[in-house]
Amino acid sequence: MRSNKLFITIFGLLAVLALVTTACGNDDNSDSTVSASTFEGSRATATAALQSAQAKAIAGSVIISGSSTVEPISVRVAELFEPVQPDIEVTVDGPGTGDGFKLFCTDETDISNASRQITDSEAKDCAVNEIEFVELRVGIDGIAVMTGENNPVECVSFNDIYGLVGPESTGFRSWTDAGSLTGLNTSSLPNANLDIFGPGEESGTFDSFVEIVLEDIADKRRQDATTRPDYNANADDNVIIQGIQSSDSSFGWVGFAFAAHASGVKLLEVDGGDGCVGANADTIASGEYPVSRSLYIYVNKAKAADNPAVAAYVDFYMSDEGLGTAVSDVGYVNLIDDAKNDTRDNWAAR
Amino acid sequence: MAKSRLIGNRTNKMMVQAMQQRAFDVRGRTFQITLLAMLLISLFILTVLIVDVVIDSWGILTGRPGGFLSGTMRSLSDDPKQGVHQALVGTFWIAVFVVVLSFPIGICAAIWLEEYALKNRFTRFIELNIRNLAGVPSIVYGLLGLFLFVKGLEGLTGGKSIASAGITLAILVLPIVIITAQEAIRAVPQELKEGAYGVGATKWAMVRSQVLPYAAPGIFTGTLLSMSRGIGEAAPLLLVGAVSGRLGSNSGFFDLSGVTAEHFMAMPVIIVEWVQNSGRDPGFAEAAAAAIVVLLVFVILMNAAAIFLRNHFEKKRG
Repeated sequence: MRSNKLFITIFGLLAVLALVTTACGNDDNSDSTVSASTFEGSRATATAALQSAQAKAIAGSVIISGSSTVEPISVRVAELFEPVQPDIEVTVDGPGTGDGFKLFCTDETDISNASRQITDSEAKDCAVNEIEFVELRVGIDGIAVMTGENNPVECVSFNDIYGLVGPESTGFRSWTDAGSLTGLNTSSLPNANLDIFGPGEESGTFDSFVEIVLEDIADKRRQDATTRPDYNANADDNVIIQGIQSSDSSFGWVGFAFAAHASGVKLLEVDGGDGCVGANADTIASGEYPVSRSLYIYVNKAKAADNPAVAAYVDFYMSDEGLGTAVSDVGYVNLIDDAKNDTRDNWAAR
Repeated sequence: MAKSRLIGNRTNKMMVQAMQQRAFDVRGRTFQITLLAMLLISLFILTVLIVDVVIDSWGILTGRPGGFLSGTMRSLSDDPKQGVHQALVGTFWIAVFVVVLSFPIGICAAIWLEEYALKNRFTRFIELNIRNLAGVPSIVYGLLGLFLFVKGLEGLTGGKSIASAGITLAILVLPIVIITAQEAIRAVPQELKEGAYGVGATKWAMVRSQVLPYAAPGIFTGTLLSMSRGIGEAAPLLLVGAVSGRLGSNSGFFDLSGVTAEHFMAMPVIIVEWVQNSGRDPGFAEAAAAAIVVLLVFVILMNAAAIFLRNHFEKKRG
């Protein structure tokens, strides 16, 4: 008898708890449009693509995977898209660019986010499975090169960076060591301990950094295009920034979106051959800042043709709200207008 | 002489020493104080952690507790619709899977091993393996889940679904459930069992009427604690395919179709994701802290249920 009562009490409590939360959940769905429209006060005006999408309600789902760097853009686009097409369910995951292409090329996802262009071998995988795609450039991410806030260094050249973190720098413990590589024209760097923090090899930021800064110099010097192995690698950008903060003579790099909010670090100017340029939204958008990379989405053409939800979502992505508002909302840099139109043309010509 | 023969030379010496030399036992006292200090250290660390998390999350927990519980995953931390509803639904159903699958299987296996199995090389081999499995890193179970439940049994589980995650975590905690249940059953006094046989009980009647009621409190405590551990796991869920960015659907707590739907979210994964997002958008740190508090409350509720059940069965036993 007592045991029955006890079970009823426990499960009653659990049921009440669950009901309360479900009730809240339903509330959320019913007034979603109201609160969304107040929140999206700063929304740009709707474009033609958006208006045509508004004409008829579409129900369906869009499955997106790929780069964790691009993930917030696609999520933001989905959030802005929600009031327009509330019945389209957009799911976004972020296991990484490479993992994303694996899923994309086995037909498991509709769209793949990428923080770099698709490689030849990945494209071959897609071709084997007869998956045709369209590549759309959606925004730009700068890679910030940083040091501790009290470091006197203001600007580093690509050669300096190669000397500090390139494959030949293995074992270097001081900034001055960077100049010891023969034939490398480095600027005068201070005699201070060198503590390096950066993303690990699995990260898209690592690949881009190597590609943009180190690859050409490494090729010329007949070295592998990679970094030195002996630095503090971490997948978590927060940990990298904490490491850079911890020492005045540290050196490190993370995506600009992360670095822009960091305190206690100094963003170094970078000389890519045309003089020193500091990293900010303007210099990244114009391409002046040399360490920046483009962000892409890859759309499965067949899925876009068969599934109106996918087409409607990408249409919205191509609007000013997508390429403009969404990209800057989550901390990335908008493409310049010509580049936006190129992207739109690519999508229209699919 | 007679005295020392009676209680042994060594003991005699110690007693004499204790009585003659010291009224105050320095070593014993030091030991006692060390023990207390260790307890205080662990409590202190725990308190600091909890206070830190509660302070960080205070704004959300007092500002919009309902909205946070009913909200979904968002790209910006100041979005009023940000919350943990989808993740809470995922973790709730994963917990249900763990209870429904691992408890009956684990407890039955423990009863068999303790009461029915012959103590031979074969059972010793099995027990050794169960103990080894309890020490296997959780990520390995995630791989197992990925190949067996997500890929192999896709038709049954729906692929990267709550069902796959729930079964994976049920298997993860199974060895711990078996071991704790075994310990509880082993603690049943032999006299009780012999008494039952003495009045003519069969083995089954003895297990049902003596062993299980006596061991129930221990079994409940151990199994529910292992479930609390299971639902806090993030690594295997990431492999089984918990979504990190945005989940399109938002099914309710009792929406069974959500259980086998492709894609899901869970509390530990949402916490990991928000902590990572806090580099891009510092407000996510607060959201992560609030999610930790929600998960903590969920686990405390589970443990409260365990203590409740244990006390209940203890009373019955007395």
